[in-house]
Amino acid sequence: MKRTVVLMGPQHPVLPEPLVLDLVLDDEKVVDAIPTIGYVHRGLEALVEKVEFTDFGNVAERICGICSFMHGMGYSLALEDIMKVEVPERAKFLRVVWAELSRVQSHLLWLGLAADAFGFENLFMHSWRLRERVLDIFEETTGGRVIFSVCRIAGIKQDVPDATLADVVRRLHELKADLAEPGKVFASDPSIRHRLSGVGVLSREDALRVGAVGPMARASGVALDVRLTGQEIYDRLSFEPVLETDGDCMARCKVRLREIHQSIELIRQAVELMPKGEDAPVEVKVKGLPKGESFIRLEQPRGEVVYYVKANGTKYLERFRARTPTFANVPAMIELVKGCDLADVPNIILTIDPCISCTER
Amino acid sequence: MDKLEFLAQAGEYQRGAWRLAFVNATTVLPAPGAEEGSFELCWSFEKGGRLEHLRRTVTPQEEVPSISELFGCAFIYENEIRDLFGVKLTGIAVDFKGEMYRTATKVPMSPRAIRERIEARSKKS
Repeated sequence: MKRTVVLMGPQHPVLPEPLVLDLVLDDEKVVDAIPTIGYVHRGLEALVEKVEFTDFGNVAERICGICSFMHGMGYSLALEDIMKVEVPERAKFLRVVWAELSRVQSHLLWLGLAADAFGFENLFMHSWRLRERVLDIFEETTGGRVIFSVCRIAGIKQDVPDATLADVVRRLHELKADLAEPGKVFASDPSIRHRLSGVGVLSREDALRVGAVGPMARASGVALDVRLTGQEIYDRLSFEPVLETDGDCMARCKVRLREIHQSIELIRQAVELMPKGEDAPVEVKVKGLPKGESFIRLEQPRGEVVYYVKANGTKYLERFRARTPTFANVPAMIELVKGCDLADVPNIILTIDPCISCTER
Repeated sequence: MDKLEFLAQAGEYQRGAWRLAFVNATTVLPAPGAEEGSFELCWSFEKGGRLEHLRRTVTPQEEVPSISELFGCAFIYENEIRDLFGVKLTGIAVDFKGEMYRTATKVPMSPRAIRERIEARSKKS
């Protein structure tokens, strides 16, 4: 049979950001997919040529509007590693609280987008209504809802009162209770199961072969979670990676649902273990210019991110590189759409939770 | 390290069940008066939370063999490094032939492009 090439993107209802997939079809089956990116490439990494290292954290944060806090944190960790700076304990705990809040809001955002993609508008609204509460917490604790500018080299810009943190934990437990109903619908509604179960299956072996990261890998039974390496204060928190073994779109949905609960529990633990008192230091002074290199890995909501920073002893860095999770998941996405029905492609792409602005930097 | 030695070392990581976590290129600008710069290439492999790096420094003319036959995900990094830096990577399993990034400036991270930007800025200031 004659093969047809269908261009999906750059504008498509399930794609919040531009990406093109040339889908090679044999009847209704996809036999190959060729991605093209670069529509929103901003060259942020090249800005190290003209932005001083003390200000570059603000650029790093703007890589993405969802993981913005964690990009700022990854950059700060790399510079702290190069400059051999010991960050105050309370700042480390607060960084983990904000990092896990980022995961909660990112997964709620994704659940809404997924519901919208398979035509469940009511569920989309429920998910995003819950996400707003997390953004409210961000606004109260950092002053921002998208860009926070709270993470700095050698600490954080501002402390959060203990009473506010206790209130955050209480409100997150309310959110957890309110997520129970939409969560039940995601996991058991027949129409959702019909669209997601058994669709876009990535086996454990394939996940390892194509280098999948984050919920993509964990939904295929790969226990890859950078938090297990004990970054910041994660080694003092009690948790196990959330794993599913089916490897399909439904498994990826379940992993994200369970990770929302896990993050809320991690925030509770972090607030409990945090050094108390608003007079505890959250920042130390840094002197001198950075010289050396550092590799930093973090577990973002979408998976492992790797930062590379090289400094040459001047106020301008020689290289800043961020390998984002969506970039690492592109080979997995290509693998997944091969052999599937054309009608399933949007849902499959969505379940990798693509972030093109992260990918293109 | 020559091509064969590099491929042999990458093969060791593959046989040892390491995961290709990251590939990076850094542009090294030419010394004053010199014509061309070079690239520092770094392949990072992860196993059990540990990162190990394989490094090479190459000139813009030098060919670098792809490791996409050994690591299925390498092609995405290799296409990016070729598009943005102009490193001559050969034998990439899924080759986008320079069309993966449709950037306004071709090879924006090449030594020449970076030097031109720096010179333009210093003239302006």
